Amino acid sequence: MVSDNKLRILVGTRKGTYIVEGDARRARWKVGPVAHQGNEVYHVVADSRHPGDVYALVNSWLYGPVIYRSRDYGKKWTEIGTPLMASTKTRPPKFDGNPDTPAPVYPIANLWHLEPGPPAEPKTLYLGADPHLLFRTTDLGSSWEPIPSMNEHPARKDWAPGAGGACLHTILVDPRDSRRLYVGLSAVGTFRSEDGGTTWKATNKGVEAPFLPNKFPETGQCVHHIAVDAADPDTFYRQDHGGMYVSHDRMDKWVRIGKPLGDDFGFAVASPRAAPGRAYFVRLDGQARVTGEGHFQVHEWNDKTRTWRKLLSPRAFPGHFGVQREGIATDDLTPAGIYVGTTTGQLFVSPNAGKAWHQVPFQFPAIHSVSVASPASR
Amino acid sequence: MLDVHLDSWLREFGPRGSERVDADSVEHLLDVLEERYPRLRFKIRDETGHLRRYVRVFVDGNDVSGTTGAATSLRGARTIDILHSIAGG
Repeated sequence: MVSDNKLRILVGTRKGTYIVEGDARRARWKVGPVAHQGNEVYHVVADSRHPGDVYALVNSWLYGPVIYRSRDYGKKWTEIGTPLMASTKTRPPKFDGNPDTPAPVYPIANLWHLEPGPPAEPKTLYLGADPHLLFRTTDLGSSWEPIPSMNEHPARKDWAPGAGGACLHTILVDPRDSRRLYVGLSAVGTFRSEDGGTTWKATNKGVEAPFLPNKFPETGQCVHHIAVDAADPDTFYRQDHGGMYVSHDRMDKWVRIGKPLGDDFGFAVASPRAAPGRAYFVRLDGQARVTGEGHFQVHEWNDKTRTWRKLLSPRAFPGHFGVQREGIATDDLTPAGIYVGTTTGQLFVSPNAGKAWHQVPFQFPAIHSVSVASPASR
Repeated sequence: MLDVHLDSWLREFGPRGSERVDADSVEHLLDVLEERYPRLRFKIRDETGHLRRYVRVFVDGNDVSGTTGAATSLRGARTIDILHSIAGG
């Protein structure tokens, strides 16, 4: 266990894991350690229940998906168990040489999201993977159990992948009741479980699926990311392929909030502990999938006044930036810090809830994920 | 007895130098390697038992990955190289 009261930005990139250490004012940054170089890292996340513990989901182009854990904020990494389905009897067909033949579907294509469990269950972790798979460990990753109610869901045959794959990318645990779980699946939508993952209910009411003939189906919406409100665990902010939404009733129904922005496409959303009722979205052009206004922009949603605020001047960072679903994070400090990584390797920081922004002076590879290991609130 | 060499990327999970293995097929060879080096499991072969897409297995200098693959007989063979294909970007 390591506890040094430093703030760290944890960055997963197309070419490795980067740990970025900040000073007390969140103004100066030091890049390092760096690990898993040359490999895709889809998610890097700290486990605040065990200071020093950081997990990296590595999807190697050569040797496949591997979970690594560091016990010292990224200085040393150790491979831990990866929940491969070794007992499967399903073997993909042998490649027949025809380029039109669909690629074989492997039991696990990529690891997408690792979610530490609640404080009362200090050895529980959840893992989301492609194709639409959910796993749980109760021994910090030495062994994993598949969640059959999701992994063998009767509707799976109708689930198709999104452009990023068939990813189960969002996992949320209710802080008041660890048996209440929420998951988000690309091109399928969101589900809630009230019984620890034994059964699931689809929770997409009110979310538009503009790419389907039936615009409001029970499932089939392409959820991109979900953030829970820190002060109200019944309130969620949703960035969907079909726009930006809020729910105040545990996802029973969703209300679209993004229409005043025009095109409310995007991938990333976050809601900081120090700013309840606020959510930060990175709006992208729905066609080009980059910041459509010609500059980097983050929009703040105020759920109390139901209003939007643009946080950056057009002159701050001109250009077209892509931001992926794990590309925005917030810290636990006051005022809230906001961190955004782009697909062209810029890492933008606001240490004061969006008032001022600067760029970490380092050119990263394409950024897949940004998260924060926060010190205790100060 | 076969002399087995692993690519630098795969040495993180298996033998760092030359490894002596007695096996009568590529599949058998990989079973033995995975028994000796459990972290190699699923790195060369995926969860379904197939060689991973960018892994190349050379038997006495001949690439068998795209032909007989894991079923390749090793009778009379002397050296095995397990490498990664030219890929990336």
